[in-house]
Amino acid sequence: MTGTVLENLSGRKLAVLVSFFLICQIVCFLIGGLIAPKPSITDSVLSTKCIDTSNNSDEWFYTRGPKPCRSVDLSHFMYEEQSLFANQIVFVFQIPSPRETVLLDYSRWQQNLVGILHLDVLYHSQNEMAPRTVLTIDAKLGYQNKHDPPDKWTYYASSVERRNLDCVMEQKKDLYPYNCSIVPLFELGSLHHDYYLLNIRLPVDKGRNAKLGHVADIWLFAINQTGGFTKVWLSLKCVFFPSIIGILIWFLRRISGLKRKPQVLETMLIIVALSLTLLNAPVELLTLFFDLPFMLLLTDIRQGIFYAALLSFWLVFSAEHLMEVQKKSLKEYWPYFSSVVVGCVSLFIFELCERGIQLKNPFYSIWVTDAGTKLAMALLVIGGLCGIGYLILLCYLIWKVFCNIGTKRASLPALSQARKLHYSGIIYRFNFLMIATVVCAALTMVTFCLGQVSEGQFKWEEYDGLEYTSAFFTGVYGMWNIYIFSLLVLYAPSHKHWPSQADLSIPTNEIEFSCLEPEPSEISSLTTFAKKTALD
Amino acid sequence: MGIQGNHLPAGKSTAVNFKDRCQKLWFFTGRQKQLCSLNENVMNAVGHGARLAIEECQYQFNMLRWNCSTFSDSDSIFGAVTTIKSRETAFIHAITSAGVAYSITRACTKGDLTDCNCDTRKRGKKPRKQWQWGGCSEDIHFGEKFSRDFVDSHEPGDSAQGMMNLHNNEAGRRIIRSRMQRVCKCHGMSGSCSVRVCWRKLPSFRQVGDALSARFEGASSVKLVEKKKKNVKKLRAATKGLKQPNNTELVYLEDSPDYCEKNETLGILGTHGRICNRGSPGLDGCKLLCCGRGYQTRVREVEEKCRCRFVWCCNVLCEKCRFKKEEHICN
Repeated sequence: MTGTVLENLSGRKLAVLVSFFLICQIVCFLIGGLIAPKPSITDSVLSTKCIDTSNNSDEWFYTRGPKPCRSVDLSHFMYEEQSLFANQIVFVFQIPSPRETVLLDYSRWQQNLVGILHLDVLYHSQNEMAPRTVLTIDAKLGYQNKHDPPDKWTYYASSVERRNLDCVMEQKKDLYPYNCSIVPLFELGSLHHDYYLLNIRLPVDKGRNAKLGHVADIWLFAINQTGGFTKVWLSLKCVFFPSIIGILIWFLRRISGLKRKPQVLETMLIIVALSLTLLNAPVELLTLFFDLPFMLLLTDIRQGIFYAALLSFWLVFSAEHLMEVQKKSLKEYWPYFSSVVVGCVSLFIFELCERGIQLKNPFYSIWVTDAGTKLAMALLVIGGLCGIGYLILLCYLIWKVFCNIGTKRASLPALSQARKLHYSGIIYRFNFLMIATVVCAALTMVTFCLGQVSEGQFKWEEYDGLEYTSAFFTGVYGMWNIYIFSLLVLYAPSHKHWPSQADLSIPTNEIEFSCLEPEPSEISSLTTFAKKTALD
Repeated sequence: MGIQGNHLPAGKSTAVNFKDRCQKLWFFTGRQKQLCSLNENVMNAVGHGARLAIEECQYQFNMLRWNCSTFSDSDSIFGAVTTIKSRETAFIHAITSAGVAYSITRACTKGDLTDCNCDTRKRGKKPRKQWQWGGCSEDIHFGEKFSRDFVDSHEPGDSAQGMMNLHNNEAGRRIIRSRMQRVCKCHGMSGSCSVRVCWRKLPSFRQVGDALSARFEGASSVKLVEKKKKNVKKLRAATKGLKQPNNTELVYLEDSPDYCEKNETLGILGTHGRICNRGSPGLDGCKLLCCGRGYQTRVREVEEKCRCRFVWCCNVLCEKCRFKKEEHICN
């Protein structure tokens, strides 16, 4: 019982396996590109300005349904009309909007909802706005389901929020619009109900909103995941989830068949596979039946755990191939992991501060208050620094591995023909996997950057054919699944004995190979090789 | 086309009679009557679009010799001046078709219209299914489509004037799309930009008017070229060697009439009595606006609101000031 499957696999079998993985990869990419729609869509909704005659803040204002509200137009400013007060104007958004005489409703497949406001502020020479104004928004969100009576709106959340509004203007002319920044308003982690109603007031009292200019209109941009993308995504998960579990069971059975305890690298592989299984588990299906607002947070956490495991695995993978002193257990690697752990913990705290509190108040944002901004920035900077530290450490380790391989390779000509062939094969395959990792990481980066660039020069005209963003997501998701799958396959302990395989190729050098046989506790023959060459 | 949209009564009509009313509007073509009968709000939106276009035209042409004057007693709102295939007619067509497209798009985003398409590209798919699978396309697609359907149905496609008007209508609609502002938001893991959503925001109609006004100044003179063998008619640049106008440029067939003097038959008011800017070297300057006839200066004492303090939403606290105002008036 020696080495891993990778070292004992013939070149042809390896080629077949690799091409199979490549085909799977392309299929994943095409599923996203050809079947799935784009991952999320934005609905632009223009507000209807309703008049609250009674100044009764408990009432719901809506535009579709029995007894719709009385609306006004604010674009032409009446100097004479003094009867209206800011607190009486309610900006009403009823989503989704009807199309083709059909009253659309949100489907639970659409998963989440992000609301962003954009204010159309008109310039008046008598009332110039400061470049940064603090906006106070009194927002109230309600929902309705299909079988509810049409005038019954149920309270979901409400809050009085402060947001910074940055408005600039190049050419100052009366009644021209300012160029204002967008105002993120709310994030719903679950889209459980059919219709939503947002009522917004910009109250003017106690100095609030006193410096606001002439708001002619408010836009709401409602972003939600597309149902089609969720369906494709969950189908992929339903395929990957059992396959990774299956291969993990196979891997565990191989290890349990050995006389020794699992090696560090094997333990690490199991951890990565488990974290991927956690990520693959299609728990989102539950949102179709239950209202689970924490799903967005949970998905982020699961993703974070997988990234942390994968990053740690790379460290261990490189360190294990240093061909120096071997560490016997994972615990000895703790200084290596510190950057990953600190980075992940800081991002986790940030996540809890933003999305965690949003579970209580969907209008909450950490970026609004100064203290919150500082905390968020501090957490993100720590995360970023840890990322940089990690990258430096990983690059250093990889560089060292390649250096060691180089020196070992230099001593190859001194060895006999059979050992030379054998060892160069091992180095080749190690490099091969190393390169596969780099290629995977690079591909992720490149497709991401390409996506950003192509977004930048996005042709807004008719856009049929390949849906690039979806293809990127399914492609990358599939790639890391295939990557872990292949690691589990190739790094599983092999049943084959070296001599038997070597016999076929070079039958004359039997004695030499028998002395090459490593101790059963060795995981990689590369490390054996290191020791043997040292003996030589 | 929508120029006559101003004739529509501004007030809301009852649901019962709006279909009858559509049939009675004599200046509508069959297709326009059909579209008008669709929904009461459709006509309100078209009427609003036409008003928007006229207001914008008057704002943009405020200081030009022809100031987009309108007549309420004439069959055509701008008078007979639109029968001349001039630059000004080109602008009017462009801004009207843009106004209709803009107003319909806004009505769609407001949810006032129930007829807006979910996806104008994919046909045959049920809107609810399409919406829940991949979402609906932007409302501007529907606005453009509606404007094409409604405004263009008025134009005969085979005459030179018809082709010019169709070209300018399309140019007006395309201006809206070209001025749309791109907005992006990151909402990936931990607020990272791994998931970025971008969308486009409708510009203000003033921005559309500004852009069209620039196109008006750069409008190209064209002529009708007929290839009898292939039975193809095309508008080509009038002078050889000049660039062919593209889809977003305005084109005209005839030179503009003289707007300096009053012309009753064409509905031109002339520039007599118009206020001009004394120092300006441009078209709004007294020299050009008054067509060399000279001007008079008069000083008036006016009382105006000043030092206004403006409080969102509806309080304007002003003082009244009296000051002397100098005005230059064309002879």
